Amino acid sequence: MGGRPLACIAFACCVPWLAAAASAVEEPAGYWMGPTHGPVAASVSGGTVIHTRKLAALLKAGDVMVVDVSEAARRPANLAAGAVWLPLAHPVIPSAVWIPGAGLGAISPPVEKLFRERLALGTGEDLAHRLVIYCHKNCWLSWNAAKRAISYGYRRVYWFPDGMEGWRAAGLPTASAEPQLP
Amino acid sequence: MGVTGTFLMALVLGTLAALGPASATFADDSQAVMRAHAAQDEAERAARWKALQHAIFGARSLTDGAGVIQIEAPEHALDAALVPITLTMKSATPIKGLYLVIDNNPSPVASHFTFGPRADPRTVKLRVRVNQYTFIHAVAESADGRLFVSQQFVKTSGGCSAPVGSDNAEALKDVGLMKLHLLGTFAPGRPLQAQLMIRHPNFNGMQMDQITRLFTPARFIRTIDATYDGTAVFHLDSDISLSTDPVITFGFVPDRKGTMQLVVHDSDNALFNHSFDVPAG
Repeated sequence: MGGRPLACIAFACCVPWLAAAASAVEEPAGYWMGPTHGPVAASVSGGTVIHTRKLAALLKAGDVMVVDVSEAARRPANLAAGAVWLPLAHPVIPSAVWIPGAGLGAISPPVEKLFRERLALGTGEDLAHRLVIYCHKNCWLSWNAAKRAISYGYRRVYWFPDGMEGWRAAGLPTASAEPQLP
Repeated sequence: MGVTGTFLMALVLGTLAALGPASATFADDSQAVMRAHAAQDEAERAARWKALQHAIFGARSLTDGAGVIQIEAPEHALDAALVPITLTMKSATPIKGLYLVIDNNPSPVASHFTFGPRADPRTVKLRVRVNQYTFIHAVAESADGRLFVSQQFVKTSGGCSAPVGSDNAEALKDVGLMKLHLLGTFAPGRPLQAQLMIRHPNFNGMQMDQITRLFTPARFIRTIDATYDGTAVFHLDSDISLSTDPVITFGFVPDRKGTMQLVVHDSDNALFNHSFDVPAG
């Protein structure tokens, strides 16, 4: 569901054993197929983990494509016609492209096509272009999406596990974005 | 974040920059940043409720519900998919309706009760999904059409994407099965509390099937009608914010030994109908 700010802060604060286990998760060999939210791996093979301070500096330097792969709220098709449907605005890191679904363990072909195309567009089809991928804190979607981008051949993929929660907690500015859907 | 939020952040960053390079812009623990962050959140929450109020109640005015309606919810809920809520009403004027609004859920109106002649609307309990840190608003509507509002903040998140179980087929087993527990002793004409349990996954369309890795299509309870010997107790309009296997506690006034009939209608147009003897047995 869209905009799950603070999701994982809640996890970490309210469930101490989860917080304690946070550093113990091994990188899975393939994509992460378990629950989206929970303690994540400390690394992503072929990519670089980046934290808030360094990310802000990297963005300032420019020539970086930023991708948010958070889930978007999905209006059930059978919701009553008069029902109030008002998902919260989704804050992103300024300049980020929001592609929901790109971080699912099993990606749908239309989303994968869109993800590849947007990456190509945002990087000028340059596999050496810097690419930052994030979602929320303690969220596997960005890990999966980073792994996926690395598999496409991108050589400078940065995974930002602090997510929107880390970004906002540092008082950094955000922008609004609409989800890119196939 | 809206323009206001961005402006606030700009203000904070500007302030920090003015303090000189030594006071790092990224001092996560900086009091100024934290304060501005909190103020920004507060402004966003107020704006959110204003927008919802408009969407749900239009131009009608809401008055402070202190002394009329009270919400009890855990400040930190451990399971975001099962947040227990108790609503207590102590109005001098009769209450005819009750709205429960979970501000930051995408479908914020979790339930709307319309009470009938056999209702005792003083206490209602239910369990809901909470997607992220949010205010919960309860609005009681008096018989003369006034709206009274109370609010509480709840810190939990992830309730909308939390899987219902490991197996959807299992979650749908016995769908529509109901149980009714009377929580007191029956006496004709005396208010009585009852707890209704309904077996229903209440899929909200945002949960992933743990086996197929696809989103499970939404299937949720739309309405519940409770009648006692043919006279209305309540009508509930519900939505995807109700937890899996809903449990609803409500009050009614049985004037004599009789039958509580419950009719549940879901979004797949399935109709479940159960009757319970009062007193039981």
